[in-house]
Amino acid sequence: MSLLVLLLAPLVAAALLTRMAGALRHLVHVAALAVLLGAGAVLALKVASGGTVTALDGLLRADALSAWMAGLIALVAALAGIEAAASGAEAPGRFFPLFHLFIFTMLLAVTTDDLGLMWVAIEGTTLASVFLVNHHRTRASLEAAYKYLLICSVGIALAFIGTVLVYFADLQQFGAEAHALRWTTLLRWAPQLPPRVVELAFVFLLVGYGTKAGLAPMHTWLPDAHSEAPAPVSALMSGVLLSVGVYAVLRFKPVVDLAAGPGFSRRLLVTLGVASMTVAAAFLWTPTHVKRMLAYSSVEHLGLVALGLGFGGVWGTAGAVLHVANHAVAKATLFLLSGRIRDAYGSADIALVRGLVAAMPVTGRGFAVVLLALLGLPPFGLFISEVMILGAGFQEGWWGATGLALILLVVAFGGMLRALHRMAHDAAPATRREDVSWQAAVPVVIALGLLLVTGLAWPPGLAAALARISAVVGG
Amino acid sequence: MTAATNLLAFFALAAALLLVWRRSWPGRLRVFVVQSALLAILAMTVGALAGRPILVVVGVVFLALKAWIIPRALQRMAAGTPVRPGAPGQSSGLALLAAGTLIVAAYAVMLPVTASATLPTAGAIPLAFAMALIGLFVCVTGRDVLGHVLGFLVFENGIFGLAVLATYGLPGLVEAGVFLDVLVIVLLMEGVVMEIRREHDSLAVDRLGELRE
Repeated sequence: MSLLVLLLAPLVAAALLTRMAGALRHLVHVAALAVLLGAGAVLALKVASGGTVTALDGLLRADALSAWMAGLIALVAALAGIEAAASGAEAPGRFFPLFHLFIFTMLLAVTTDDLGLMWVAIEGTTLASVFLVNHHRTRASLEAAYKYLLICSVGIALAFIGTVLVYFADLQQFGAEAHALRWTTLLRWAPQLPPRVVELAFVFLLVGYGTKAGLAPMHTWLPDAHSEAPAPVSALMSGVLLSVGVYAVLRFKPVVDLAAGPGFSRRLLVTLGVASMTVAAAFLWTPTHVKRMLAYSSVEHLGLVALGLGFGGVWGTAGAVLHVANHAVAKATLFLLSGRIRDAYGSADIALVRGLVAAMPVTGRGFAVVLLALLGLPPFGLFISEVMILGAGFQEGWWGATGLALILLVVAFGGMLRALHRMAHDAAPATRREDVSWQAAVPVVIALGLLLVTGLAWPPGLAAALARISAVVGG
Repeated sequence: MTAATNLLAFFALAAALLLVWRRSWPGRLRVFVVQSALLAILAMTVGALAGRPILVVVGVVFLALKAWIIPRALQRMAAGTPVRPGAPGQSSGLALLAAGTLIVAAYAVMLPVTASATLPTAGAIPLAFAMALIGLFVCVTGRDVLGHVLGFLVFENGIFGLAVLATYGLPGLVEAGVFLDVLVIVLLMEGVVMEIRREHDSLAVDRLGELRE
């Protein structure tokens, strides 16, 4: 039931919002977000208290991994949705219906058991968000939307080849079967599947869904789309959409590991992870634009997640899953704040944003602190998950890759810290650009609160949840 | 069945090569329509001979979508562009050579699949994959937006052929979703392309330079 409510809330809202305006639209938007958040929490509690939740004859299925992702999507959607409603900048036309449709496609992708339907839903995330990327209707945003649509469609089509090959392997081995594309069926059969075919399929799947996850070298659409989209959309894209791509890879990883042994997927994931961190560090050393900096930082962090999954072991997988959540909260908040900065300064060029802390006391300070959390400083959650991932690297004997990752982290750290220093303190301007209000601090307080929880004091159940997700994904 | 599917897949692949060779836009569009029709017939043939009525339906929908609705959208997108966007004197020799290499590569990559396949259609699987690779090649090397879109659609055609030959079609729900996705992609592309034309008065890719760093 909670699963159906979770999916129906944004879908119904999307349908209703196409015909609404003014205060009524506001009400439906906020109500949908509240229902979404509630259903996400109920689902998480249900799954945490044991077993899996299914609906529609098993077509929809939420295990620990699904619930983790669905909860994250609901959380980031609520943060971004409230900011979108409050800023009022995104008022006209298609924004709100597409916003909710976008949320629906992401939720469907992480809660369906059918890997074909998952593919359709992930392709749907691109289609729902193309016009959101081009919302500002400038030349740059148009070009970003075009690149986004083309590159992600090609990428996702490659993932379709992988899905077809997995299905083929299934049929060859076991003949026609009603639910051959269901993940639960596939996992049961995986040990008997032809290993070479499954490996080939995984390459296509990793490149395809890796494109959606923004892993280098398939990341080229990401900085453009994430920096041109309106801030709430950037928050969703960077915060959770990338992780949905990772989620898709995670569904196939145990299948490949069972069919062909774990070495194959690990090597590929570590390679893509190091490549992503390298590309990101090269840009982050001298960032020029706030939102592009945040976008490249997403490439870096998703690379780190890929590394964690590649390193495997108890710490690697759990660290990667935790890092997905930490990164989602921190990055989504930073994108929301960067939207306010762009509105106040009329630009998000780092060279033009000066005296941020003095001009925007709430947003500026919030931006600085959450950015420090994103950079991996204790006591925030990203520090813990990064230690878990890198620790797993050393423990599992990936000395070269872990050492390199550590150096790349330091490079990105230095570059972003320098950019932050310039924005925050250089030449304070005469005018104050923000009214101080407690509402403006809400997303920052929520984000920092959550990051402190994952960093300092794990609530009861978090460790158990991570262990159960690791069991789903396999070491 | 083997002979029929091999022949149809071979002709569809030949159409992809023809598409690499042709330079004029109406010519390329006609080749695309022919290729789509061939693949629709392929799906219907496999469906009829293997006793999968759903695949016949899929073939009919594919025919309507790829040989009628989408070409019409492409024609709307191309309205007003010059017939031959390429520079004069440009030859297709190198592109054809690359496409030929891709066919060899397709056989090499698909080796594990053909080795483990027991289907009568197995022999044609690399042909369909080669078609997809050539489509990807056309897409990546396209000099204008129309080239990108057409390449992408040929790529999609190849994947459709691959799915038909390797699995006799995916479950109905997934096929329906895929068709919907392709249709929406093309319609979105049309919207974006119209806007690009309004902004830049051209569809050439080198005009799109707003986001270079």
